[in-house]
Amino acid sequence: MKEPEPEKFGAHSRRTFLKSLGTVAATTATAQVKSVAAELEKVNAEKVIGPEAVPVTLKVNGEKLKLLLEPRVTLLDALRNYSSLTGAKEGCDRASCGACTVLINDAPVYSCQKLAIEAQGVEITTIEGLAKDGKLTKVQSAFIEKDALQCGYCTPGFVMSVTALLKKNFHPTAADVKHACAGNLCRCGCHPHILQAALKAAGVGHAAKTEIVNYA
Amino acid sequence: MKAFQYATAHSPDSARQLVADNGAYLAGGNDLLGLLKEYLVTADPLVNIKSLPGLNKIEDGRKAWTIGALVTIAQIENHADIKKTFPGLHEAASEIASLQIRNVATVGGNLAQHSRCWYFRQRDVKCLKKHGDLCYARSSENRYHSLFTGNDCISPVVSSLATTFAALDASAIVLRDGKELRWSMAELYAEAWKNPYAHNSLQPGDLIVRVEIPTARSRSAYMQISDKHAFDWALVSCAAAAEIADGKMKSPRVALGSISPVPHQSEAANSFLDGKVLDDATATQAADMILKDAKPLEHNAYKMPMAQALIRRTLLKLKGDA
Repeated sequence: MKEPEPEKFGAHSRRTFLKSLGTVAATTATAQVKSVAAELEKVNAEKVIGPEAVPVTLKVNGEKLKLLLEPRVTLLDALRNYSSLTGAKEGCDRASCGACTVLINDAPVYSCQKLAIEAQGVEITTIEGLAKDGKLTKVQSAFIEKDALQCGYCTPGFVMSVTALLKKNFHPTAADVKHACAGNLCRCGCHPHILQAALKAAGVGHAAKTEIVNYA
Repeated sequence: MKAFQYATAHSPDSARQLVADNGAYLAGGNDLLGLLKEYLVTADPLVNIKSLPGLNKIEDGRKAWTIGALVTIAQIENHADIKKTFPGLHEAASEIASLQIRNVATVGGNLAQHSRCWYFRQRDVKCLKKHGDLCYARSSENRYHSLFTGNDCISPVVSSLATTFAALDASAIVLRDGKELRWSMAELYAEAWKNPYAHNSLQPGDLIVRVEIPTARSRSAYMQISDKHAFDWALVSCAAAAEIADGKMKSPRVALGSISPVPHQSEAANSFLDGKVLDDATATQAADMILKDAKPLEHNAYKMPMAQALIRRTLLKLKGDA
């Protein structure tokens, strides 16, 4: 087992504490369980597991994350507190605000209302997985260009929702964007600019003024 | 959330065994995780039923369609033939919550979801539904509550699929200890009408496995009114279904949601509409019959004219689909 670096003990955040627990335990677990397949089989067997931490393998942004989690840990907590992927935000933690939106097999879902243990065997994409080689995606660039954020807390969720929409619908109307983003809330009130950013990213020009005014 | 044990079931029998007396079934988890986070239910173990075979399919049929309990709301929303065959069901599905929820929420979970009453959902309040002494909503904040109820709890059923299934005369097939029960929507919620502690007629271990929708009514429509126009619960919802031949309605059914612990239906109004040509006067008369004996509370009387208008609009929309 790798010795923890001394300076890491200086940062007493809840996240680093939880993460260090996860890493130590996961390393032990990896020694016991030979392969990911075996782990999955174990989880899938009709066997009651937990409540103590069990091996959980997530595929996030194309990479496998081997974690040791209690069954009650949500996907959002697994990402933020156990994997240092803090892009998805915790807002309401009740499937009501959209800040935690991630993609599962390209479909947007709330990671706060899904257990990490049942998110195994699927492709999870978070905001960290969008930009490749430091190059922002069209959606991300459009958000900057159209000034589609103020405090930025809801932004990763909105970007994921818009990204998912544009994967399925290359020429969305303003109504399509509103329907796709209805599950994301922005308390700063940036909705009109977010709408413009989504349309800009899709290359379909910008919304008429009336469409913006009607955005409720 | 309290810690719990977890299992994945691969057959309904093993799901039943695993869930035992204190467990809960996990499908989409939208409602259940909310309840667990507020310590409103216990689930030990939590039994993931997403791998049960055959329950995630939509199957068409000449006489009836079958929708598996694990079919997601998004699957219904995006199914082109459902839009054609049961337009009301498509409309109801596309208004449920948000895309993120529709992508994971299931038909079974939507039907089985618990009360949204804010006293029930507040973990520190021991209201009547949680075996306390008193329904706090009765004498306090009741703007989202029922116009009809058969007991002292006034929290309404909020499943808009239930409203639509009631209008389409669909049945829920419930697995109880290995035996299939076939329930109308009225039966699925009958217990909540008389028992303040119940959200529906399901007992521990019962599992909704599918819904069967007769094709007898080719017209259907759904409408709701909410505080927000998207991602919000209905203040009142209304679904109607019928066959229309020579301008006359055949086997019409109307159901309302969010105003009663059961999908609110009036057999008298359904019979009254049968054989009638729909016009504004007929629709208004039907609305009066459906809302007869309603008991508005201090803050929810606004639901009366809203329901009246919604019944009329939904019936006229049904006619307009010609």
